[in-house]
Amino acid sequence: MATMNARERVLKMFAGEEIDRPPCFSGMGNVTTEGLKKLGQNFAATHLDAKMMAAAAASTYKLFGFECGVAPFDLCIEAEAMGCEINVYAHSEDLLYPTIKKKLIHSEAGLDLVVPAGLTGRGRVPLMVEVIKMLKKDIGGEAPVGSYVLGPFTLAGQIMELNDLLKLSFKKPDKIGKLLDQMADAIIQVAREYEKAGVDFITVREMGATSDVLSPRVFKTLILPYLKKIFEKITVPSVLHICGKTNDIVPFMAESGAKAISVDQKNDVAETRKKLGPKALVFGNYDPYNVLVAGTPDLVRQTIKKCMDDGVSAVWPGCDIWPTVPPDNMKAMMDEVKNYRR
Amino acid sequence: MVTDEKKKELLAKLRTAVIQYDEDTAKEASQEALDVGMEANDAIFNGLVSGMVEVGKMFEAQEYFVPELLMCADALYAGLDILKPHVKQLDLGVKGSVVIGTVEGDVHDIGKNIVKMMFDVAGFTVYDLGRDVPLDKFVQEQLRTDSDLVCLSAMMTTTMTGMKKVIDDLRTKNPNVKIMIGGAPVSQDVADKYGADGYAKDATNALKDAINMIESLKKMKDEVEAKKAR
Repeated sequence: MATMNARERVLKMFAGEEIDRPPCFSGMGNVTTEGLKKLGQNFAATHLDAKMMAAAAASTYKLFGFECGVAPFDLCIEAEAMGCEINVYAHSEDLLYPTIKKKLIHSEAGLDLVVPAGLTGRGRVPLMVEVIKMLKKDIGGEAPVGSYVLGPFTLAGQIMELNDLLKLSFKKPDKIGKLLDQMADAIIQVAREYEKAGVDFITVREMGATSDVLSPRVFKTLILPYLKKIFEKITVPSVLHICGKTNDIVPFMAESGAKAISVDQKNDVAETRKKLGPKALVFGNYDPYNVLVAGTPDLVRQTIKKCMDDGVSAVWPGCDIWPTVPPDNMKAMMDEVKNYRR
Repeated sequence: MVTDEKKKELLAKLRTAVIQYDEDTAKEASQEALDVGMEANDAIFNGLVSGMVEVGKMFEAQEYFVPELLMCADALYAGLDILKPHVKQLDLGVKGSVVIGTVEGDVHDIGKNIVKMMFDVAGFTVYDLGRDVPLDKFVQEQLRTDSDLVCLSAMMTTTMTGMKKVIDDLRTKNPNVKIMIGGAPVSQDVADKYGADGYAKDATNALKDAINMIESLKKMKDEVEAKKAR
């Protein structure tokens, strides 16, 4: 088979065409301190500057051949556009990801919230559009450019207290359903902007709905309908990511309309593969901290081999890659994927 | 004096109220327990906490998930608020004061709150720093309150690494303090590497560990009472 570049490989995989080997990429954050160091960039500032963010997002591909460029690096874009204040921890020398400082909903009455007009002109959505365009120009010929949005439940957990959201999901499912519908609308608007800017694929991160937190029944009845609504509207290849316990909900994840599903190290992928059949796209599922950052190159190789033995369609981390990943481990991962023979 | 039968009935009512996350019944039964002259301690440990132990089992068996757990905790607190002022102070031989919080960069506090609840139940003085707590705040608060236990929580791998700093700093300034860490990314390995005394990897385990701790305290309490009775 003729050699293909990372972008061709990933797009062909999404299209269900034959490829030379599983791609090794991610739809979530994968900026490294190695990359930031080479660029001379501070992490906190990188979230607020299009040029810096685009450069950082391209650096993992350029340094290690990791097969994508993905921005942003934090989980606050949509909530910020909705009106939440964020904290980027500008004072801190540690690697801290931005978080929501002020929530929008503080009471049950607040659940009637509607998506503000002109959402895509607010917060950092315009900045993201710029980043995606720059990223496309920089590496878009060779590597797929991706971005992510939150899932409706996870976004709801950003704009209101998670405690309240969880309890009300039980006590007032109708009201939460209405809120999730609004969240889905907001997410669709943001995803559409990213598509217009030229992303090759979009990941929807719905980690708040993991079976560590919510029962599969609640996932199916309360959350799945709004995920379906979102995936119906996304036109580029899409991925649904949920971390933590997911074995009981993978059939629902597959039913969501996402082109691929992404699971983390808690999922038994061999079992998932059996459940979903040979054609389903399942991405995963190495531990991006305990293996990729804290492990030895040997452990990395073993883990990556096991992912492929278990039958992942793409080698892909369970979450954002923690930036302090040792270059030797990145190299061990890429080599293992390239040299793997099924 | 309250009859054994009435006592049994009330304890069952308290226990069921927690299991069925029924705040109203938890309040009602707690007040009734006080009215008929039951020991507040008895009502807390053999009623409310006994219910929470069952909830822990149901959580583990995946009959209950986090929303149910939170509602059960609300029911427990509803009863505890009424009973706590009537708890007779017992000398348990432990000082029972704890600093607890979620580390900077992390805004998740459900696991932390579950652990906090069990400390509240046990009658600890809890200094809850909340979430997204600047790392040096833990050390300051430990020194200020001279607490014997510090509990650090992180839900995300991305913030877990901050716990190491706190632990190192605490150990330098106060080698005797006990440190527990908890949260989804935490493992025995991480606890060992970071030099923590104990760990709980998620809400289930936090609940289990906290219950174990409470049960050992209960045993101590029983021993103290047995000694007094002699």
